[in-house]
Amino acid sequence: MMKKALFTLAAVLFLSNVAVAKTIVFASDATWPPMEMVDANKNIVGFCPDLVKAIAKAAGFTAVIKNTAWDGIFAGLAAGKYDAIASSVSITDKRKRVMDFSDPYFEVKQGVVTRKGAGIKSIDDLKGKKIGAQIGTTGYFASKKIKGAKPESYDEVGLAIENLNNGRIDAVICDDAVAVGYALQNKNYVDSLSLAFLIVPDEPEYLGIAVNKGNTEVLELINKGLKAVRASGEYDAIFKKWFPTEE
Amino acid sequence: MSKKEVNIHVGDGAAIPSKKDRGLFSAWWISFIGAVAIIIYLCMTEPDPYLDILKFLPDGILVTFQVTIYSILLSLVIGLVTGLGRLSRNRFFNLIASTYVEIIRGIPLLVQLFYIYYALGKFELFSNLPPLAAAVIAMAICYGAYMGEVFRAGIDSIDHGQTEAARTLGFNRSQTMFLVVLPQAWRTILPPVGNEFIALLKDSSLVSILAVADILRRGREFASESFYYFEAFTMVALVYLVITLILSKGVSRMEHKLNYYERH
Repeated sequence: MMKKALFTLAAVLFLSNVAVAKTIVFASDATWPPMEMVDANKNIVGFCPDLVKAIAKAAGFTAVIKNTAWDGIFAGLAAGKYDAIASSVSITDKRKRVMDFSDPYFEVKQGVVTRKGAGIKSIDDLKGKKIGAQIGTTGYFASKKIKGAKPESYDEVGLAIENLNNGRIDAVICDDAVAVGYALQNKNYVDSLSLAFLIVPDEPEYLGIAVNKGNTEVLELINKGLKAVRASGEYDAIFKKWFPTEE
Repeated sequence: MSKKEVNIHVGDGAAIPSKKDRGLFSAWWISFIGAVAIIIYLCMTEPDPYLDILKFLPDGILVTFQVTIYSILLSLVIGLVTGLGRLSRNRFFNLIASTYVEIIRGIPLLVQLFYIYYALGKFELFSNLPPLAAAVIAMAICYGAYMGEVFRAGIDSIDHGQTEAARTLGFNRSQTMFLVVLPQAWRTILPPVGNEFIALLKDSSLVSILAVADILRRGREFASESFYYFEAFTMVALVYLVITLILSKGVSRMEHKLNYYERH
């Protein structure tokens, strides 16, 4: 009897979930300021969370943002722990093989952060130098491509930046928005670190929201919302809010 | 319910297998051959991820070995000093050793690693500490506390009569400790030390947080780029298993050699 009741309850819950289908869970590694981070009140804030909320509003679904460690964030998507990843994921061909991406929502370049006066101005200057980056990011892949450099992978970009500040490594490579945040805006590092240069990519690198392969339902909702947010000018407002110095 | 006849056979301890029972089908051999066979099988049938992962790991294995061996040697020294300190009659020495054990046992190893590398890195003195050295120091300090307790218990287990006899024969305190008590205590100490050794090797996977490229970090790097998460971590687990099995064999060999009381 009890069992039957439980079954019915589970079935009702399941069905209602499918019928409404209005909650989409987004994973975000909130250690990537100012794109996504945790503020003093433990809320996930930043450009990407704001954009996700705006998309949800425009497309008519509820967005839940779940803070997830970057290492394994893609494995969690594949395992169905969340529906999408909105965490400054660059759209790469390798990633496209295992997941689908929304329309691009941001263009990034890889920024090289060094200590002030380190004399590193180009890729050639990085020869024989220790370069830190977050594991599994396009910044780390870029550091591995630099000939003669010694790439080191960190769990969080903040740890790499801290090590750079302490003088143990020579450079950190990460998304330009993050590099600007650390080197030019963060009061802990503004006196000691600088954004040395941006790596010019062979082709432009864009961020997209990742979903499991074949999950068109969620993807269409997100794309629809993104289009509406761009059209209404809300996108520009969010951009201005988080990147006030850039026009 | 039918009556069951219960036959209790009192023999000479057949429930615990004697050392002579160690054959091809011991638990160790099953695990070892099983692990190696799975690795070979996976690499041969699906070389695409599995063999590639295995080829990606060797320098990580080397780093794991380095961290483990340096930390174990350092922690043995710290453990011996701490164990002797805990048994010392000198109040000051005793208090220092006991406080060290209490504090270190109460802080997780991961936090200690973070602290020694990232937090102390703020100070000029520690800012040049390479990650490998920081990892070894943190692990040795942590495991030294546990080793200290192992040493203390081992030394404590030696009958006080031994000390009294040695003292009567005119040995001084340190001679008594190093020539009479410790050689006997070593027998009791070794199995738990071997245990700590294996635990330390596994815990060395935590040092990947310091960007030390050990087995785990290499596996994670492979997975993060190729998305072969399941395959990469399967291989990492198997490699750790093979290494710890080899180690545990070595430790049990040594135990057997030192067990001169049971050797006939």
